Amino acid sequence: MTSTRHLLAPHMRLLLSALDNASSCASLNANSWDCLVRTARSARLLGVLAARIGQAGLTGEIPEAVANHLGAAEAESRYLRQMTLRQLAAVAELLRPVGTRLLALKGSAYVLRDSTCAAGRMPRDVDIMVEQSRLNEIEQALLAAGWEYEKTDPYDQHYYRAWSHELPPMRAPAMPLELDVHHTILPPLGRLRADAQALFAAAVPVAGTDWWTLCPADLVLHAAVHLYQDSEWIGRLRDLVDIDGLVREAAATDPRFWKVLGTRAQRLRLGGPLWYVLTLANDWLGTPVALAPGELDALQPREPGRALVLALSRRCLAVGDPEGESGWRDRFAYAAMSLRANWMRMPPHLLLYHATRKFLRSLRRERGQTLDT
Amino acid sequence: MRDGIGLDFGAARARIRSDVHELGNVLADIYRSFPLEEPAGFFDVTVRLRRGRGLRRYLRSQIELVFDGETLFAPFPADTHLPMLEWGLNHVLAQRLGFHLLLHAGVVERDGRAVIMPALPGSGKSTLTAALATRGFRLLSDEFGVVRLSDGLFLPLLRPVALKNESIELIATFAPQATIGPRFPKTRKGTVAHMAPDDDSVARRHEPARPALIIFPRYDPGVELEVEPELPSRAFGRLAVNSFDYEMLGPAAFGAVSRLVSSCRVYRLVYRDLDRAVAAVRELLSSCR
Repeated sequence: MTSTRHLLAPHMRLLLSALDNASSCASLNANSWDCLVRTARSARLLGVLAARIGQAGLTGEIPEAVANHLGAAEAESRYLRQMTLRQLAAVAELLRPVGTRLLALKGSAYVLRDSTCAAGRMPRDVDIMVEQSRLNEIEQALLAAGWEYEKTDPYDQHYYRAWSHELPPMRAPAMPLELDVHHTILPPLGRLRADAQALFAAAVPVAGTDWWTLCPADLVLHAAVHLYQDSEWIGRLRDLVDIDGLVREAAATDPRFWKVLGTRAQRLRLGGPLWYVLTLANDWLGTPVALAPGELDALQPREPGRALVLALSRRCLAVGDPEGESGWRDRFAYAAMSLRANWMRMPPHLLLYHATRKFLRSLRRERGQTLDT
Repeated sequence: MRDGIGLDFGAARARIRSDVHELGNVLADIYRSFPLEEPAGFFDVTVRLRRGRGLRRYLRSQIELVFDGETLFAPFPADTHLPMLEWGLNHVLAQRLGFHLLLHAGVVERDGRAVIMPALPGSGKSTLTAALATRGFRLLSDEFGVVRLSDGLFLPLLRPVALKNESIELIATFAPQATIGPRFPKTRKGTVAHMAPDDDSVARRHEPARPALIIFPRYDPGVELEVEPELPSRAFGRLAVNSFDYEMLGPAAFGAVSRLVSSCRVYRLVYRDLDRAVAAVRELLSSCR
C-alpha cells in the first residue's frame, strides 16, 4: 500500500521523518528545529524523539538550545519511569494480602518489560488489571491504604462501575501518577467484547517483581483496542508510535510473532482494531507488517464505513500545527471519532443518557483552568 | 505584532505573537531596554495572545493565551493583557526549563556575588528584590533562581518585576527613577504593575553569577529589623520545597541544592522598612567570601 505521508502538513512530515530516521535531524536549521520540537512536544513525543536522536549519536551535533529541551524531556521521562516503578512496587506490596494475580497494562507494562518503546515515554498514569471477582477486595485494600478517588461525582462513580472496564481513577498523596484499576480491556457492554480470562491465561510474569503483563501479541492488541475505543481522540499519535515499537521489537525477538498475532486476533475477535492500527502504522511509521498473505485483509472490520473511519483517524492522529488552530474539519473529525468510540462502548439507550448528562455538565463547567500564580 | 517579536531573557528566549494591539505599546515600554528580535529561529517558548472567539470577542472582550496550539487557561478580560502574559510566561517557563534547577526565588547580584531570596508566602520577595535592584544590585530575576547544573552558577531569567497592590506605591516612592508600567486594577491578585529592568541588568543578562548569600525574607510591620543565621539543613528543605523541578531532576537537584547551601551564608531577615532591609543585605553580602 502506498504511503499517504506526503499528503500531510509540513510539520507532521517533519515529525514523522525525524522519528523514522533521527540522523536526518543533523541537517535541520533553526526554524525547522523550532517547528519539530514544538510539534513533538504537542504530541507528547519529545522524549521519544530525544531518545532516538540520542541513539543515533547526534547529541553533540545539535544546537545547544535544542539539546537542552531534548535533555529536559529525557529527564522527565526518566523521572516518570522511576515513579511508575515505585508506584507499581508500592501497590504490589499493599495488594499482596489479597493474593490475586496483578497485571500491569500499557506504559506500565512497557516499563516493567524494559520494552524499546518505553524509552522517552511520558505516562500520566499507571494502569493495572485484576480479575473482576477480586475487584472489590482490591478496591478496599487501596482505599484503606490511603488511595482516593479523583472523581467523587456520584454519576461518574456509577458510570465507571456499571458500564466501564475500570474503576474511577485513583490517586495517593506523594504519588504523581494516577492509578487506573481495570478488570478487562474493553467496556463490558460494548460492541467488541474482551475475553479477560483468555488474556490472563496467556499473561507472562516479570521476573523479580510481583507483576505480570499481557503476552507480546496481546500487548499489541490492547494498544490497538485502546486507541480505537478511547473516546478522547486528541493526542493519540503517541499510541501509534507505541504500537510500532511493540511490533518491531516482538517481530525481531520471536520469528513466530506474526503467526501468533494473527491467531490471537482471530481468537479474541479483535481483528478490526488491529487492522486499523497496522494499516495506519505501516502508512505513517513504516511499521513492517508480515502477516500471511490475505491475513491482513481477513482481519478487516466488516463495518461499511471502513475507509471513512480510516480517513477520520488520520485526521485525528495528525498533530495540530503549532502555529495554527484546529479548523472545523479537525474538530468534526474528533467529534465523529469520539462519537464512534462511545457508540462502540455502550448500547444506544445508555449512550443517549450518558451523552445528555455529559452535555449538561459541560454547560456548567468553566473551560480550562484559571491562571493563578 | 502579528508575526511576533522575540525576547531574550537570558536563560530563555520567548517568541510573542499578538493581535491585541494595545499590548504592543505596553510591552515596548516595560521591555524598553531589551533588544526586540526577529521572531525567526528557535525559541524556548512561543505564546500567542488571541482575542476570544465568536461572541466573546464583542460582548466581553476577552483574550486567551495559546501555547503551541493549546489554550492552557480560561480566557481573561482584554484589559488585563500584560499581567496575564507575564503570568502565563512564568507558568510555561517553569515547566519548560527542566534542564536547569529552577528555584522559586528572587536573585540579585553585586560585586560578583549573588543573593538568593526564596519566595515563601508573606516574604515580600518581589518587593525586596525590586528594592535591591534599584540600589546598585544587578537584577537576575524576581521569580526564578535558575541554577546551571554543570557548575551551580545562577543564570539571569530577566523579566519585569511584578509588583502588587501596596508594593507598587512603595517602590515608586523608594525609587522614583524606576520605570513602572501601567497599573492593572482588576486582576485576581488585585492591582498589578511591572517595573522595567534597568539597562545594566539587561545588558548583562547573559552573565552568570556565583551564589554567596541566601536570605529568607519576611515582611512584618511589627518588627523593626531582625537578622538571624539559618540552619543549612532547614535552608535545604526550604529551597527544595520552593523549586519548580526539584523532584523531577532527582539526584542532580539534590546535589545542586546541597552544594548551594554549603557554599553560601544563610540568614533569615525580618523587616518592615525597605531602606534598612537593603542596608542589611549589603552588610551581609560584604561579609561573604
